[in-house]
Amino acid sequence: MASIELSRVSKLYANGIVGVRDVDLRIEDGEFIIFLGPSGCGKSTLLRTIAGLEGISSGEVRIAGQLVNNVAPRDRNIAVVFQSYALYPHMTVWQNMAFGIKMRGAAAAEIETKVQEAVELLGLTGLLDRKPGALSGGQRQRVALGRAIVRDPQAFLLDEPLSNLDAQLRAEMRLELVKLHRRLGRTTVHVTHDQVEAMTMGDRICIMREGRLIQAGAPLEVYANPADTFVAKFLASPPMNLIAGELVEAGGGALSVKACDEIFPVPDMHRAAYAGYAGKPVIFGVRSEDFYESPQEPHYHPVTVKVVAIEALGPENILIGQLGQTRPIEIAARLTRHFRAAIGSSVTLYVDARPMHLFDVETTKVIARPPLPVTRIAP
Amino acid sequence: MRKFGLHFGLLLAVAVILLPPLWVLRTSLVPESLSYSTDLMPAFTTGNYADLFAKNHFGTFYLNSIIVSVGSVLLALPFAATTGYAFARFQTGGRFARFLVLATQMLPPVALVLPAFAILRGVGLTNSLTGLVIVYSALNLPFLSWILMGFFKGIPVDLEWAAMTDGTTAWGAFWRIVLPVSLPGLAAAGVLGFILSWNEFLFALVLSGPRTSTIPVALAALQTSNGVQIGKVSAGVVLAILPLVIASRFIQRFIIQGLTFGSVK
Repeated sequence: MASIELSRVSKLYANGIVGVRDVDLRIEDGEFIIFLGPSGCGKSTLLRTIAGLEGISSGEVRIAGQLVNNVAPRDRNIAVVFQSYALYPHMTVWQNMAFGIKMRGAAAAEIETKVQEAVELLGLTGLLDRKPGALSGGQRQRVALGRAIVRDPQAFLLDEPLSNLDAQLRAEMRLELVKLHRRLGRTTVHVTHDQVEAMTMGDRICIMREGRLIQAGAPLEVYANPADTFVAKFLASPPMNLIAGELVEAGGGALSVKACDEIFPVPDMHRAAYAGYAGKPVIFGVRSEDFYESPQEPHYHPVTVKVVAIEALGPENILIGQLGQTRPIEIAARLTRHFRAAIGSSVTLYVDARPMHLFDVETTKVIARPPLPVTRIAP
Repeated sequence: MRKFGLHFGLLLAVAVILLPPLWVLRTSLVPESLSYSTDLMPAFTTGNYADLFAKNHFGTFYLNSIIVSVGSVLLALPFAATTGYAFARFQTGGRFARFLVLATQMLPPVALVLPAFAILRGVGLTNSLTGLVIVYSALNLPFLSWILMGFFKGIPVDLEWAAMTDGTTAWGAFWRIVLPVSLPGLAAAGVLGFILSWNEFLFALVLSGPRTSTIPVALAALQTSNGVQIGKVSAGVVLAILPLVIASRFIQRFIIQGLTFGSVK
């Protein structure tokens, strides 16, 4: 049981490459936290610095309140599950799982009970005498988890543990990891580049980019209130539509965004927050699910879109379309599965602008506005 | 027709490679007086082999070769493994150290043999198997370190990280995980080192004496002022090749099996 505290943690490599830059983060005891970011963003490096597998250049790492900068990995009492699983190939499943507590000098009887517990928990019975080479990907994954559980560590650090599994198995394991966390209640850090894992598994997401921690918060909060255009794009598939435009006054104190030959009226509820940006260029952000094929609410704003492609996913259709005539840009709209349109034809879509965001053109940071409730917005 | 041509070419190539050793085998089994006959098998005798052991102390030299080759590999491997691991995982010595290790291989052996002789004479180890074992270990060390470095680099670092979070020290991870996983590589390197030492001639000639000769030196001694005892030489060559044939079978199996593990995807 342990909290993990990172203060101003930086990791610079000898060749000048920055692994992690000035990360401040407090992970609460028992929390399930996600490090999310594209490859090379430093999320795995950050995980390894918590594990002690890589030293840090500056800053402090505390586990359970104790400064561990100079504590060897074996004395931090944390367990790491690697993307490659890193099972010891010359040992059987049983030996793999027992290795950790054996190293800690546990008695034979204790080893037996602990391994047996983990084996039952993960459904590994019958595989104990096999070597990793004779296991399937999913089984290896379980053994790697089992090896971590047997140790009874203060915290679990999972480094992209699901990315080598096929889609169906990944979905199953996702759920199982969450259940496991609920059952064991241990602090868990899960590194991933998969936004579905990030949205569904953790109590909090930490989005990283180029070694920096960009934003941390509950998944839906971060989704609804991205800190900048990077987060806005990264935490959704299709990514948020970002349209360069200009914030203009529309008379009577009303504001609109002029972009792509269209005028998007800014909802009154955001007027006060955006007033200072009137007359300036902005980036208008609207999520794909805020496009509708019919004007269900009176305030939905109609736009004309030329159909480029339709991705029929089954439960829904993703429309890729061109917005604007003079300098058209590509947007994605998430529509119902009933939507049909010919490629190349023009269709009218309706935009719900209330969840919109405006971003500063130069800093790409969001222009602050009062957050909306993350679920249904009252009309 | 094309297939036939291809097979004919291959047969020819095989013959070019295999005929000389086969002829040596034939000569070793033919009485000395008929060695140069053009007949395929003018007579059969095992006398050359018997003479080699009875009159030329070949048994002693054979044993010497085995002791020196095995001994030098056993002495060099631990050093080579630790050096190779340090080179593979840490920045030990930087690029310069790696270059130095390779550079030792670029010197012609002749340049090394006299200093080696001087050193061994200084410590009274000329004309002794111990001296040869030490010199061969030194000769093998850079080469074995280099091979093992490559092998260790191929082992995912995740394995060591897993071991270290599981509770081992860095040394423990090397000892309990990396070494067992690398056994095939160690075996392959060991066999290569064995072959190098087994075939070595120059150092053995200079550093060994009449009782501590190895096979290559003993075979060379069969070329006397009275002529070459070709029958015995052939018998000696056949016996000298035998362990190498066995060793190369061994190394093949190990190398193939060695690189197919299921630890990581």
